[in-house]
Amino acid sequence: MDKQLEEALDFANYQQTFSIQKKVLKERISAKLTYGFNGGLFRIDRNLLAFVDMLCTKERTSGVILLDANENPVLVEDLNEFSEEIFRRYFEVTNEYFEQHQKIKKSRSVEKLISQ
Amino acid sequence: MTQGILIYAHNNRTVDYALMAMIAGGLAKKNLQVPVSLVTDTSTIVWMKESNIFSQAESVFEHVITVDRPTTDNQRRLHDGQTGQMIPFINTNRSTAWDLTPYDRTLLIDSDFFIFSNSLGEYWNVDADVMLGNAINDIYNDTRTGYLDRHVSDTGVKMYWATTVMFSKNSNSKLFFNTVNYVKENYTQFADVFRFDPRQFRNDIAFSIAKHILDGYQQDDALSLPPVLSALDKDILYSVDENSLTFLIDYRLTNSYCAASISGVDVHIMNKQSVIRNKQALLELI
Repeated sequence: MDKQLEEALDFANYQQTFSIQKKVLKERISAKLTYGFNGGLFRIDRNLLAFVDMLCTKERTSGVILLDANENPVLVEDLNEFSEEIFRRYFEVTNEYFEQHQKIKKSRSVEKLISQ
Repeated sequence: MTQGILIYAHNNRTVDYALMAMIAGGLAKKNLQVPVSLVTDTSTIVWMKESNIFSQAESVFEHVITVDRPTTDNQRRLHDGQTGQMIPFINTNRSTAWDLTPYDRTLLIDSDFFIFSNSLGEYWNVDADVMLGNAINDIYNDTRTGYLDRHVSDTGVKMYWATTVMFSKNSNSKLFFNTVNYVKENYTQFADVFRFDPRQFRNDIAFSIAKHILDGYQQDDALSLPPVLSALDKDILYSVDENSLTFLIDYRLTNSYCAASISGVDVHIMNKQSVIRNKQALLELI
């Protein structure tokens, strides 16, 4: 086989693995950013973080009703505690995401990709 | 409120579902930190004893619940990578889960669904009587799955995946499981209405139709479990170590494989024989 074609096919194969590794990593991160609380289910994202932070800034922290990922109203008795938990999870998970993503990006062979 | 996991396993001559249930149960117990119970039949227990896994099963499962082996002529073509064969598929008694579960809140999983994270633990206290896996989520991407993986038929309703089902034991969920049973017992009639192929009974279809009916004949995705990350049966579980599972993925379904590994995510592995080939390494993880 022509060497150039062989290299191209090798790269194509690498890209398949690369995209699966990225997808699975995203799935893992997305699952970790799901937070079940008081009968509701929250997706910890920038919207939730910003909204909760704004309520805390305005000192609306007791007996707050938040809409969860399914638009259902959920009572949060202590918003400061809730805020601490979602910020803790967010930073922990996004740090992990960054580290793992860097490892995947730097892996230049299928062997290295699947050994991450 | 007690929480726990329920797994059904009825062996056939080709697939050792009991062994898979033991691996699935052990991983679920380890990663979700809740007890697990097995629903099985006498002949499967005899096989477990003959193959020397019963004592280990007793340490994995809180209860081993013996039921009559369902009589069925259900057949299914299962691939093991490039090869495939028709095998009997003994899975028609899932609607009994409500009566059999020893738990107030139950996560019912297939024996080929392997839990490597605590993600589903976030759903124990969600205010919903019954939740089903929202959809299939192909480990590769959505180019390998078709309309009939997402709907019960060309003109039918959305298909949920009964690979994962979470329910509370109450009158609403009882009604749900009664409806699943009713759909099962009248499968050909429902096939006429919902236009699906009735030749092979599928729990996914029976559960989806029951949900559709009880949601008031409309689609309501609001409360469901996450899509089921799945490696198809043409994919091959190649190896297992303490950090990851390595697969060969048939990414175009044309026997052209690429490698991929996963860790820390729950996965539905449809290629059962490749699970069995890696049984030793998987059992070491539990």
